[in-house]
Amino acid sequence: MTQRSPFSARSRSPFIWGTVAVAIAAAGIVVGVMLRPAPSPAGGAAAASALPHGTLQLTISSCGQSWGTDAGASGSSKGVAAGGARTFHFYNGNTGDVEVQLQDVDTKKVFLEVDGVGVGATATGSVVLGKGDYRLVCYPADADPVAGPVVKVGAAPKGAQLTPGIVPVTTNDLIPVAKAYGQWVDGRLPALQAQVRQLNADVARGDLTAAKRDWLTAHLSYEGLGAAYGAFGDHDTAINGTPAAGKTALTDPALTGFHKIEALLWSGSPAAQLAPYTTKLVGAVDALAKDPGTDRIDPIDIGLRAHEIVENAIQFELTGATDAGSHTNLATIDANLGGSAEALSVLTGLLTSRYDDLAETRAALAASTKLVEGYRRADGSWVPLESLSRSQRQQLNASLDRLVELLAPVAEITEPRKALQ
Amino acid sequence: MSEGIVNESPEGRCPVPHGAVRAMSGECPVPHGVRAAAAAVGGDAGAAHGDHGAGQDRTASRRGFLGALAGAAVAAPVGVAAAMAHPTAADAAAASSKNGTPAKFDFHGSHQAGILAPVRRSTALLALDVTAADRAGLQRLFQTITERARFLTSGTAAPEVGISTVPSDSGILGPDGVAGGLTVTVGVGASLFDGRFGLASVKPAKLRTMEDFEDDALDRSICDGDLLIQLEADDADVVTHGVRELLRATRGDMQLRWRRDGFSSPPRPSGTPRNLMGFKDGTSNPLTSDAKAMKELVWTHGGENGEPAWVEGGSYLAVRVIRMLVEFWDRIGLDEQQQIFGRFRGSGAPLTGTKEFDDPHYELDSTGAVIQFNAHIRLANPRTAATANQRMLRRAFNYDAGVDANGNLDQGLVFTAFNQDIERQFVTVQKRLAGEPLVDYISPIGGGYYFALPGVKNASDWFGKGLFA
Repeated sequence: MTQRSPFSARSRSPFIWGTVAVAIAAAGIVVGVMLRPAPSPAGGAAAASALPHGTLQLTISSCGQSWGTDAGASGSSKGVAAGGARTFHFYNGNTGDVEVQLQDVDTKKVFLEVDGVGVGATATGSVVLGKGDYRLVCYPADADPVAGPVVKVGAAPKGAQLTPGIVPVTTNDLIPVAKAYGQWVDGRLPALQAQVRQLNADVARGDLTAAKRDWLTAHLSYEGLGAAYGAFGDHDTAINGTPAAGKTALTDPALTGFHKIEALLWSGSPAAQLAPYTTKLVGAVDALAKDPGTDRIDPIDIGLRAHEIVENAIQFELTGATDAGSHTNLATIDANLGGSAEALSVLTGLLTSRYDDLAETRAALAASTKLVEGYRRADGSWVPLESLSRSQRQQLNASLDRLVELLAPVAEITEPRKALQ
Repeated sequence: MSEGIVNESPEGRCPVPHGAVRAMSGECPVPHGVRAAAAAVGGDAGAAHGDHGAGQDRTASRRGFLGALAGAAVAAPVGVAAAMAHPTAADAAAASSKNGTPAKFDFHGSHQAGILAPVRRSTALLALDVTAADRAGLQRLFQTITERARFLTSGTAAPEVGISTVPSDSGILGPDGVAGGLTVTVGVGASLFDGRFGLASVKPAKLRTMEDFEDDALDRSICDGDLLIQLEADDADVVTHGVRELLRATRGDMQLRWRRDGFSSPPRPSGTPRNLMGFKDGTSNPLTSDAKAMKELVWTHGGENGEPAWVEGGSYLAVRVIRMLVEFWDRIGLDEQQQIFGRFRGSGAPLTGTKEFDDPHYELDSTGAVIQFNAHIRLANPRTAATANQRMLRRAFNYDAGVDANGNLDQGLVFTAFNQDIERQFVTVQKRLAGEPLVDYISPIGGGYYFALPGVKNASDWFGKGLFA
């Protein structure tokens, strides 16, 4: 978890649907919804005329009016629509961007979200609905949410693959999760501080055998915090940076931290050459511990962690890319899996009712951990990654690959969303 | 090794008035396979089609076909066989997608659709090792592969997933489903029948690890594997999409061991596609329309030849990745090239003949004065009664895969051949080719022997179900 410009940059900002036509089976019903028609000389009708057939106008006080058939005719208060595939076109004639959800009125589960429709844009979203009462909910950028009328949807045709719905996770839901995670990070920092001091002391007295052992202990402690990376910003670069492009950990003059020390230790460099770096590492870890930002995890990021930790382990550790001589990538992966488990653990309360494969995900995480820890020898040293047989590598790759597939939905489910009760 | 012509057909006796169309004539089997498609598209089909040219037919027929059959699943054999009975429909079926292949192949059937289907432009061969822990895991893997293959070949749009997960499809083919002439052919290697899954007792009788033949330079890192999955389609993006989706759905249970992509060239200018030595490759294949030949040369039969019952409708698949030393090859004269193969490079005709599909008539060249005894086509298929059952169904692809340490191109042939009995057919022919002059210019580097499973018969069947009966 040591890369410099990792997934911290992964955007949670709304992606734009405006240009993405998500069409479904030809049989799908197309519904147009217009949000506050843009004022134009010719009036709202002009704006509407360019929209797909079936587009209905909508005002600020009625999101998604009339996407069912006329309620009046049947004397019911609800519109009526057939179940099955359905494509919505959302035209934003508002003066600010808008977000639209399709919600089950009773369960509050959301089946479709069109996030951040720009002003003047038409966005499309498709869904396969089963029997139930649904409504659209609009979240204009600078106004209160507006719920559209309830539409009673009939049963989907036999064999239709219904779109799953979940109750959105909100920022408020995630705040205590992020706090719990921050406290966990806090709880681990003192041990890390002690371990890098031990490493520094080993080097100071010239005991490089002890230094190698204690380097690993400290490094794994840091890697176990993996979930927090990105949140550590420049601290991570100082503590666990990797060499610049075209350079190695040994040759990169700007590199500091664990991997520089690793390169020097395992290439047989004298203690005197190591000392400045181990001293600097103590300072860097202290700075991390002191920084009030260290235990403040943005709720927006918390759901990404469990997944991204393992993605990075696959990209940078399972390839051996970060190895600067210690051949301990498997140990690092083990530590990363521990970090992922913690990140997943704090989300359990939110995931239990929302993620059908949660138990399977936890089991896969445990299985990967067990497999990796099988490469730790009785004396605590680790089998080098490069000594694994082809079959062992395949097992390891398969295990981690399956794990990330299962973790990927966690990030989607726990993306903070708006919700209307 | 075998490229062009591992199995020259003893049945080359059919009159061939105009190249590929020979099969249209009376006593010859009605083609509905590779050659039929090639004929219809290749512009080689002149006289047999009567007074209209193949080209204009194709254009006219494409519209007709789309009107008549839009949305329907068209199995290649059925579609084209029917087409042959009615010339207009024939052209229509052949033109139903590019390269003369149907837009969609029926996934369900006694045999896997990709075996007798016309060769499409693009392919990927994936050799995989099973990482599933046990027998139940292997069953689950086969079921997942089946479900994905069924879905991908159907051309159905991917389901909407709402807000609870990542998209269910990579989107490479856009939002609509695209069948694209995709087939997914699944084979099993000998290593699958080791102790891991309790399958030793049901191993196909002739399945074993590919040996190193005399002229081979096999790199075992690109040989063998528990499974071999071949995807084939009209376009490379459809193949790539299929590879991505198949692997994504099966990550924990299998891992790629090696992969080789290939392509099939359009007819240049007509007839059988050419390999990267410039020679037409596969001219004398048995006709896929010849049910008797397929029964005797391609399909395995349960209870016969020492085979377990479940293999009915399967076939042994020999895969050979054969590098061509193309720079060297390009430095030798045309006469030598032609003598090595025994065919004219331009027309594809045997050196004793005039047109591609002419019989070489070895009986009239009994001293080997024209086609040398060690010419590739003469060794591969001597066209004697004794060697008739050694023919196999070849489906050749070219590959063009980068550069070696010397700066030479890594190009060659992805040879695939379906056999009823791999010993009687592929192995026998391969041994006969030992030391042929061609070996100086090629280097077999990878591949393996696999058993292509019987077809998935219906919606509740799955690949390899018979293994677990």
